[in-house]
Amino acid sequence: MIKVTSLSKKFGDLEVLKDINFEVSQGEIIVIIGPSGTGKSTLLRCLNYLETPSSGQIHIGDVNIDALSHTAKEVTSLRKQSSFVFQNYSLFANKTALQNVAESLITVWGVPKSEALAKAEAILIKVGLKDKLHIYPSQLSGGQQQRVGIARAMAAKGEVILFDEPTSALDPEWVDEVLAVMKQLAVERQTMIVVTHEMQFAKEVADTVIFMEDGYIVEQGSPQQIFENPQHQRTKAFVKRALKKGY
Amino acid sequence: MQSSFDFQYIIELMPILLKYLGVTMEMALWGFVFALILALGLALVRVFKITFVQHLASLYISFFRGTPLLVQLFLLYYGFPQFMPIFVGMDAFTAAIIGLSLHFSAYMAESIRAAILGIDKSQMEACLSLGMTRLQAMKRVILPQASRVATPSLMNYFIDMIKSTSLAFTLGVVEIMAKAQMEASSSFKFFESFLAVAVVYWVVVIIFTRIQHLLEYKLNKAY
Repeated sequence: MIKVTSLSKKFGDLEVLKDINFEVSQGEIIVIIGPSGTGKSTLLRCLNYLETPSSGQIHIGDVNIDALSHTAKEVTSLRKQSSFVFQNYSLFANKTALQNVAESLITVWGVPKSEALAKAEAILIKVGLKDKLHIYPSQLSGGQQQRVGIARAMAAKGEVILFDEPTSALDPEWVDEVLAVMKQLAVERQTMIVVTHEMQFAKEVADTVIFMEDGYIVEQGSPQQIFENPQHQRTKAFVKRALKKGY
Repeated sequence: MQSSFDFQYIIELMPILLKYLGVTMEMALWGFVFALILALGLALVRVFKITFVQHLASLYISFFRGTPLLVQLFLLYYGFPQFMPIFVGMDAFTAAIIGLSLHFSAYMAESIRAAILGIDKSQMEACLSLGMTRLQAMKRVILPQASRVATPSLMNYFIDMIKSTSLAFTLGVVEIMAKAQMEASSSFKFFESFLAVAVVYWVVVIIFTRIQHLLEYKLNKAY
């Protein structure tokens, strides 16, 4: 369902992503781990064309896009195939929780307003925010904001939800409620690609773990394989350090 | 000639001046509406960096900020008809509104542009990530937030515009300033007449400052 081929990204002379290849099938949960500054977030942003790759192809759903010959229209259709959960939530500050979630249905998908609001309400109830429908982002806690962020991504009708370090900006007390919502999505086999430092989450929830370093995919495999029997020296070193830190 | 201050005269002059306040306010309101539309267009052209047009927009802003309003009004009303026949029949009232709109749009465009650029770029990214176009994002998310940021300075321009309508009297528009001048010339009570008109402007500005604060309070509710 998702296929990334020879993807690379350069910022000036700095090559942040180098020949990235991977595939994701429907309902698969991918967790990308690795040290900070190794291109994990850039990769995720490239999948949504928030960053334009320098070269390579991305295929999601029925959209194919080549970095060297893409049109604005292709970019918009690619973005409709996925939705994004941001580290800093990035909720629309001028809209209530309900309006945040309904927005893409109304503007992008042309769903009638009343229907969109009803659907948004159902999703917010699902993430446990029944009593926050008409509250603005500034009056919500970090954990609540991120749950709205996930609800907004769920409403967007995309094939896959991309999570960019969804719990990194949260106070520790809010992390669990956000992970719980993500786990629920995993149970429902929502296709997800998650960049995170939450190793426990990766172990429990991922079907496939991708370990990245220095812009490369060093190793990928099942959580057992990556965490208990890593093949590469660098994976071993990272996993050992990460688990010791008690992430 | 020395005469004593005539308070009674000011009281009598007030209702006469207030009859012309409508002309003043009409110029200011229409001027503001057109300036706002123009300014929004100019700001968007510059924010989206639309090729070529953005340079025209910069030139426009530079000219209207770089020359006095009075000079612009004279160019428009006395200058243009010399070469362009369509301006010949233009009345002074219309010319004043056009002049005020053009002049203030240049300033307001910069306020709006600054407000748009001040909105965190993650807001635009969130829109794009959902498949919205940049224009949709602008309309639904960025401009509503920018309008809150820009409101205080736009309201200041509106207040400035109310006062600047007094220049329309140099084109022959009979508004409160012109009326005060006429009354002063016939009564020779210059101090009282101009003090009266100053008070009218002042009170109007106080009222709109009050409205500005209410508006800001309302717009800030979400934050």
